[in-house]
Amino acid sequence: MSKFVISNNIRKLRFYNNEMTQQELAKKTGVSRQTIVAIENCKYSPSLELAFRISDVFKIKLEEVFSYEIIEDKGKKGDI
Amino acid sequence: MNYQEKKVITSIIAGVLVLATYSIYGMSKYLEIGEDLLNNLEFWATAMLITIGGGVVVVILIQIIFHIILAVANEVAKEVAKKVSGEGKNEIYEELEITSIEDEMDKLIALKAMRNSFIVVGIGFIIALLSLYMKMPPAIMLNVIFVSFSLGSLFEAFSQLYFYRKGVKNV
Repeated sequence: MSKFVISNNIRKLRFYNNEMTQQELAKKTGVSRQTIVAIENCKYSPSLELAFRISDVFKIKLEEVFSYEIIEDKGKKGDI
Repeated sequence: MNYQEKKVITSIIAGVLVLATYSIYGMSKYLEIGEDLLNNLEFWATAMLITIGGGVVVVILIQIIFHIILAVANEVAKEVAKKVSGEGKNEIYEELEITSIEDEMDKLIALKAMRNSFIVVGIGFIIALLSLYMKMPPAIMLNVIFVSFSLGSLFEAFSQLYFYRKGVKNV
């Protein structure tokens, strides 16, 4: 069973966008600051709608904000 | 700690208060009257109905007190921020307003916490049925169900706190 990890560049993008605060991003996307913090720390994967709203704030494509990585589980019973 | 976490903590306090009051009352009456009380379903039904009614009032009162304290604390923080920064803009107030919105993460956390709560209630229901199967008095079954609902509600609140702290996944 492989693990699917979603990462993001929100921290970097905020910095390059006039050092936008988490609060400002939260207000522009209509969510709480806590949610932005959780997304930035990869503790919560946003819905597709929120992901598009975040990319829209930065005026870039979705895949430039979010990326994913598939991590294969090694050494599992039955794997040769 | 954000607004939602504080709100969850107030509901935990209310839940513990209500459950503790019911337990102390039930236990004291049992010690006073004895085994006969276990066959008096009317007494337990009345006690539970009063606890449910009282519980609703306690929860509302605690939420009102919580919001008053939060509003006062926010006003104080606003004044301090004004004095420190000397700016007219009020970011702290804005923060309170936006964090009190229930967004998609809050809804997902509430759903997952409710699922955990149903597990506790389900286990409690099975224990209640087992108590009947083991020929225990119906009052025991009634109390197990009531306590499992209360514990389920507490477990829901603790789960919410856990998900706010550790994060939540969409799977």
